[in-house]
Amino acid sequence: MEVSVIGNPQAKICRAELSFRELGFRLGSGESRNKVCFLTHQSSKWKEIRIRCSPRSVKCEAIVSDQAPFLKPTPNPRSQLESVKLFVGLPLDTVSDCNNVNHMKAITAGLKALKLLGVEGVELPVFWGVVEREAAGKYEWSGYLAVAEIVKKVGLKLQVSLSFHGSKDPEIGLPDWVAKIGEGEPGMYFTDRYGKQYKDCLSFGVDDVPVLDGKTPMEVYGGFCESFKSAFSDYMGNTITGITLGMGPAGELRYPSHQHETKPSGAGEFQCYDKHMLSALKHYAESSGNPLWGLGGPHDAPAYDQQPHSTSFFSDGGSWESQYGDFFLTWYSSLLTSHADRVLSVASSAFGGSGVSVSGKLPLLHQWNKLRSQPSELTAGFYSSNGHDRYEAIAEIFAKNSCRMIIPGMDLSDEHQSLASLSSPESLLGNIKTSCKKQGVVVSGQNSSASVPGGFERIVENLKDESVGIDLFTYQRMGALFFSPEHFHAFTVFVRNMNQVELSSYDQAGEDEAQTVSLGSGTGAHSLQTA
Amino acid sequence: MSTVPIEPLLHLSPLRRSSTIHRGPTTSSLNLRCHFTSKKLHSIGRSIASGNSLGFRRRSVAIRASSSDTAVVETTSQSDDVIFKGIFPVQRIDKAEGKIYVRLKKVKENDWELSVGCSLPGKWILHWGVSYVGDTGSEWDQPPEDMRPPGSLAIKDYAIETPLEKLSEGDSFHQVTINLNLESSVAALNFVLKDEETGAWYQHKGRDFKVPLLDDVPDDGNLIGAKKGFGALGKLSNIIVKQGKSSSGSTKERKGLEEFYEEMPISKHVSGDNSVSVTARKCPETSKNIVSIETDLPGDVTVHWGVCKNGSKKWEIPAEPYPEETFLFKNKALRTRLQRKDSGDGSFGLFSLDEKLEGLCFVLKLNENTWLNNRGEDFYVPFLTSTSLPVETEAAQVSGKTPKTNQEVSESGFTDEIITEIRNLAIDISSHKNQKTNVKEVHINILQEIEKLAAEAYSIFRSTTPTFTPESVLEAEADEPKIKISSGTGSGFEILCQGFNWESHKSGRWYKELQEKADELASLGFTVLWLPPPTESVSPEGYMPKDLYNLNSRYGTIDELKETVKRFHKVGIKVLGDAVLNHRCAHFKNSNGVWNLFGGRLNWDDRAVVADDPHFQGRGNKSSGDNFHAAPNIDHSQDFVRKDIKEWLCWMREEVGYDGWRLDFVRGFWGGYVKDYMDASKPYFAVGEYWDSLSYTYGEMDYNQDAHRQRIVDWINATSGAAGAFDVTTKGILHAALQKCEYWRLSDPKGKPPGVVGWWPSRAVTFIENHDTGSTQGHWRFPGGKEMQGYAYILTHPGTPAVFFDHIYSDYRSEIASLLSLRNRQKLHCRSEVNIVKSERDVYAAIIDEKVAMKIGPGHYEPPSGSQNWSVAVEGRDYKVWETS
Repeated sequence: MEVSVIGNPQAKICRAELSFRELGFRLGSGESRNKVCFLTHQSSKWKEIRIRCSPRSVKCEAIVSDQAPFLKPTPNPRSQLESVKLFVGLPLDTVSDCNNVNHMKAITAGLKALKLLGVEGVELPVFWGVVEREAAGKYEWSGYLAVAEIVKKVGLKLQVSLSFHGSKDPEIGLPDWVAKIGEGEPGMYFTDRYGKQYKDCLSFGVDDVPVLDGKTPMEVYGGFCESFKSAFSDYMGNTITGITLGMGPAGELRYPSHQHETKPSGAGEFQCYDKHMLSALKHYAESSGNPLWGLGGPHDAPAYDQQPHSTSFFSDGGSWESQYGDFFLTWYSSLLTSHADRVLSVASSAFGGSGVSVSGKLPLLHQWNKLRSQPSELTAGFYSSNGHDRYEAIAEIFAKNSCRMIIPGMDLSDEHQSLASLSSPESLLGNIKTSCKKQGVVVSGQNSSASVPGGFERIVENLKDESVGIDLFTYQRMGALFFSPEHFHAFTVFVRNMNQVELSSYDQAGEDEAQTVSLGSGTGAHSLQTA
Repeated sequence: MSTVPIEPLLHLSPLRRSSTIHRGPTTSSLNLRCHFTSKKLHSIGRSIASGNSLGFRRRSVAIRASSSDTAVVETTSQSDDVIFKGIFPVQRIDKAEGKIYVRLKKVKENDWELSVGCSLPGKWILHWGVSYVGDTGSEWDQPPEDMRPPGSLAIKDYAIETPLEKLSEGDSFHQVTINLNLESSVAALNFVLKDEETGAWYQHKGRDFKVPLLDDVPDDGNLIGAKKGFGALGKLSNIIVKQGKSSSGSTKERKGLEEFYEEMPISKHVSGDNSVSVTARKCPETSKNIVSIETDLPGDVTVHWGVCKNGSKKWEIPAEPYPEETFLFKNKALRTRLQRKDSGDGSFGLFSLDEKLEGLCFVLKLNENTWLNNRGEDFYVPFLTSTSLPVETEAAQVSGKTPKTNQEVSESGFTDEIITEIRNLAIDISSHKNQKTNVKEVHINILQEIEKLAAEAYSIFRSTTPTFTPESVLEAEADEPKIKISSGTGSGFEILCQGFNWESHKSGRWYKELQEKADELASLGFTVLWLPPPTESVSPEGYMPKDLYNLNSRYGTIDELKETVKRFHKVGIKVLGDAVLNHRCAHFKNSNGVWNLFGGRLNWDDRAVVADDPHFQGRGNKSSGDNFHAAPNIDHSQDFVRKDIKEWLCWMREEVGYDGWRLDFVRGFWGGYVKDYMDASKPYFAVGEYWDSLSYTYGEMDYNQDAHRQRIVDWINATSGAAGAFDVTTKGILHAALQKCEYWRLSDPKGKPPGVVGWWPSRAVTFIENHDTGSTQGHWRFPGGKEMQGYAYILTHPGTPAVFFDHIYSDYRSEIASLLSLRNRQKLHCRSEVNIVKSERDVYAAIIDEKVAMKIGPGHYEPPSGSQNWSVAVEGRDYKVWETS
């Protein structure tokens, strides 16, 4: 049985436009299942996207199960891209701090639209400050449960991000009771050289210090995970397919070295001046025989928005390359690594065996990464002595805990970075991917925002890259901009393009391989170029 | 038991037919939904028709005969205790089927005649063009003049639009005839059919119709005109046969041409206007509430209903007994099939409900995919107690439903819909192998549904301030001032400066900072400055006002504000206040814990809040416009509210010294109230923000945005022209034109600018960016890097241009300054004449008041070197402006 329809989706008949696209349907031919294919016709080249629509999945829909959406790309056995599952992030303020679901109507409509588009599911940010707001151990899941139920009803999957940080916009803080403790225990927040605290996240220095009513933050996070697991037990493994653990500021594994999101032009600042980190540093300095090095952080590092080379720390031959620099940065980054290990162990012990994948998110600190010192990465805690790969130790931790790694910024391309920022997101992304590949860590992708020029094209290219098989991509984030006619149209095209590329990458396997190679070599050349 | 009393009930309401008004894209979601569902299913028409089957009739008779102790009996004793009466118009979409025919006839040797006709009613337009001998590709050309029938209109350089004429009065057949002269070099004629009523286009197998006049016209599968004998419609897709083959070995190409007549099926969605009339009575004996629902909708009608108790508008299931043919649906609602009227034209039902209930909510279901509600809301029949309000007859009585319940219902409805759709897809596939159109329609409808849903989500997200939930907004103690201002027309030579962006509140001393720029802004040539909202507000930007008389805000104190206004007056710049009149954040909770009581000098109660936003439990009337969901919407229909607002505006004029207003979110209330406010406050200049979405088809912006600008013009009209409006249409079209290099969009079919400025230039405030669309919010950012083209357009064209603060303090500053000084030097004003001389793919050019010429786009243009002496005034990337010296 074969039916073929060719339709011109352009209601307007404009001549001489490339817009003479055609969309069509073809329905399965002589196979046991029905296949629906969109045919896209651009100039003379036919591309084909297949959509499977088997009677079986239809039936599954009927009982509102969580089976695959009915518009789903048919796996293409030879393409790397075949299995990229596309998720879309829900608004950060999906659930208000009074546990109400915000813009319920809009979200419901949005979910339906995504479902029809063939998107796999949505990402739901769950905030510590909303759920355990009032008192330790008093969890209020109702708002998030309501969202999960809608998602389930619409038939989408859910990736849940458990966020142990606060957010500035929308304004969501840490739990009230934690903030209250923090007033009397200022040492539990990250603190910079001038004593300014970062109150949206607890310092790595207190991970194992019982500062929270006799419990350590790790114990509190563990309790939170357990409570989540039991509250959402009906959804685990079916609607909920993945959990992401918040690992630091904005959920990313890093120090809050850049705190002014709108002005990321500086080098960032070291955050090691809280009581606990200072005493750890002192201890470490004494044990390594240089007690004077343990009196504080680097004295010659620039301030947040100062240019890296405005002071001597990050300049070529500056302190960062000195023995002191190695001492300090090794210690500073080891705290980050051990924090990662602690959080991921909490996660894997809580969620191991519950049928969901566990992941953690890294930042993409591409500012200044063409400088040899790569100051943004250093202040955020990514360092390795002897010039080893700065991400390898981290990737190893992820591998050890069987966790997936989320890398954001897949929409950023070098050509759109300002020259002054000496930034190369592409090569940095390549670095991290390489480390993950070495350690066998599965990578998921995210974009940085919905309004990056050329973002969609860049994402598709990243997903096409076969050297590291990315099988899950989360697009950030639903909201007014996302659904604005212009953006949403571009997104629709992107969703379809992903499928088209699937096929063209199949057609042009050779070309893809060539790209992989050049990417690899670009990465290698990078450290030389920056000298 | 007697059925007698039913009869008067059945006829007490002469069915009101509301006229069909095309509301354009603002059509309620109900219509879209119906359109969608009915369009996707060919079976809808059938199922409606089948409602008349004998079987059904028999059943309905049986019901009447057996009806016993419930509804019918009780009505016998009822008297005049009518507690609710209402007639609601509903619109249903039917599918009408008909045919398109194409006839080629020989008149004389070389004179042939092509007729295209359609059997369905509608405003049909033939959109056509020709291919000449030697043309390749699928492009169209204009036909020679002598081929064009009278009444034809040229569309750009590639098509002609000719309306179809009625064959005879009272007949629905429409036809157009084109004379063909075979001596011309026309190789083929291409066309599509367009229905102006609905905006729908009809094509042939997804392509243009193509009538070949030569035998070597390339066959893309869309040729028509074949050998005789192809009567069977189902086989049309297989009948492409080139004429040449049917002519027996003729050497001359034209000889192959044969007369033919072909028909193709066509279907169109026709909306039918029906009504539902509802009467509720209190039965004096049993005190039960008797509700009668009747409708003239044809076919089966099922009432999907629930009752409300305990002050909540949640759907609940009442205790039995239920009317006959009632089923429980998922424990959430009841479904009762209405009985057919004896006359055959409609159905009715009676519901007897317990006296304690507060009301009945329902929606109507015609079939699996067609639901009707009351303009987007559930129907609601309140059972008022004798102590409360008197009988109401207005449709407005029907008030909102509980969003949650509704959500659930519609959700399961949605899932059901998809399932049904897929099933039908499967069925269609198997049963109509060749009816590809079905599948295509389903596909297109899925796309349409996606777009509709996205648009819905967009409108809600956009209208809420995502940072604040209503609760947190109201709880927040932050003191933020908020004011908006709009202006009328001023002198006609005004140039507006938006004096702030989304971040301006951050410094805490914005007024002072602006004061320092007064001289600079004046020297640039601005005449009007738009200040941010000045009142106390729960959001720092000022758009969530709380105490209107507290003018201390994040932008500065009231004294700093007054100083600023004075400072600008000194340099000759008028100042607009940003007035937020649509909504206001409350100070206190009511007894239910809902924030809807106000404090401060305007200590309104919940009567000042519109009744149709369930979040705020207002006791006012229904909103006269759209709702902004983050704060209580003010009910401007209340006299005391209007009196207070007028007083406030006058106070601001006097106290602060504002010269006029920029009015925030005027979609939220009727423009007539704005007129009232403008008359009272007499602004020098006022402009309203009426922002909604342009029309898109499949994600691409439509060329014709008349419906969009009409909505804005309607609003200006409602204010009797007392205020202008931001020209959102022009901004939107500039987006599409610049972004995709489609400069032809900048001329409407009449050769005028396509935005509001083309229709009512003196009331259009043109702009390319503001604090919402750009700045750090970026909800609808102007195409990056092309801002100067936008300014070259608005600063040379009629209308009152507004320049965004961020652009003045950017790299564009000097170019903008040159354009401003040109506008002032050449005395261009809001009513200047614009003469569009070029609007092509890559260039748009116009001459304004015969003294300024401009072009934007990468393409070439030079002003004519005639009597005038043109010299270049300003020039930049992809634009150039000349002036006469």
